[in-house]
Amino acid sequence: MFSPEGALDKNMKVLVVDDFSTMRRIVKNLLRDLGFTNISEADDGSTALPMLKEGSFDFVVTDWNMPGMQGIDLLKAIRADANLSHIPVLLITAEAKKEQIVMAAQAGVNGYIVKPFTAATLNAKLDKIFERLG
Amino acid sequence: MSVATGVHVSLEEAKLLVEYLETGQQEKADELIAEIQNPINSELFAEIGKLTRQLHDSLNNFQLDSRLNDLATADIPDAKERLNYVIARTEEAANKTMDAVESIFPVVDTIQKQIKAVNPLWQKLMHNKLDLPEFKSLCVDIDLLLKTTDKESVRMHDLMTDVLMAQDFQDLTGQVIRKVIDLVREVEDSLIGMLTAFGLSSEGSSEPSKPKVGDNLVEGPIVNAAQRDDVVADQDDVDDLLSSLGF
Repeated sequence: MFSPEGALDKNMKVLVVDDFSTMRRIVKNLLRDLGFTNISEADDGSTALPMLKEGSFDFVVTDWNMPGMQGIDLLKAIRADANLSHIPVLLITAEAKKEQIVMAAQAGVNGYIVKPFTAATLNAKLDKIFERLG
Repeated sequence: MSVATGVHVSLEEAKLLVEYLETGQQEKADELIAEIQNPINSELFAEIGKLTRQLHDSLNNFQLDSRLNDLATADIPDAKERLNYVIARTEEAANKTMDAVESIFPVVDTIQKQIKAVNPLWQKLMHNKLDLPEFKSLCVDIDLLLKTTDKESVRMHDLMTDVLMAQDFQDLTGQVIRKVIDLVREVEDSLIGMLTAFGLSSEGSSEPSKPKVGDNLVEGPIVNAAQRDDVVADQDDVDDLLSSLGF
């Protein structure tokens, strides 16, 4: 999980966003299992954005389909804000249309995981994201 | 046929009557006679005619309301398919969970057995009553116990993760069920609209049709990926798509 240079700080502040609490719990558990200890939650893009603006987060894991503000719109808002645009964003979602995947990539998502997913997939994508940045 | 008192036919009316009959306009002739005889009747006929036409139009509107047609031919079958998907996913999750749990039990049992096997000699050691051969035997047993526990706890951890991941069905089934609830609400509204339309007049009860796909093309979990060519089937497809586009 660590990049060869050991640059990954697992104390990094992570925000998990999903309107289903069961899914937030799963992702949180998986991240904890991988050593991440500083995890916050939000139940919608609309509640996540203020938290991000306020709180020096280092990483966002988000669902797409949420009633208030969708994950794709949250991603766009993050990329549009000079203070937030550097934050890597991982989408974990049931949305599986090719058009949507391309949309997310073009909006600047760092990883796209389609549900149902495995712990191994999450691990691999996290490696990839932080390897690229680290 | 008796003539109502106080009603007189005029020469003009008579001439008109003859003209109608001579030109074969029987209906008009009859109407004229009816009107001469009883002006009130013709008003009544006209009113009934108007109501009949309104009713006919309303009935036609129902048949032409494409939203109702969509509900019957597409959305309801779609809802059934979605609910079947819910059944399939929850069953799958239950089985996955039980598989993991059933795999964990023997693992735990094995460790238990080995601990029980080691215990007698261990207790002797604790009470300083162990001789050398026994000690050697104990060491071998404990070595095995350590190796087994090490290996099996890794396996247990993996199985527990399987159990955790199997709970992901709830998110997906929840999303799908929400869509069915939306559909049911729409059918409900349509039915109310129908009742209202029959109760009142010809106010078109056109419900705003809910788009199947939401903002940003959101559709929720795809329940019939095999029949579609615009969706990815699994994570590998996602990765392939992204790397083929240079992401």
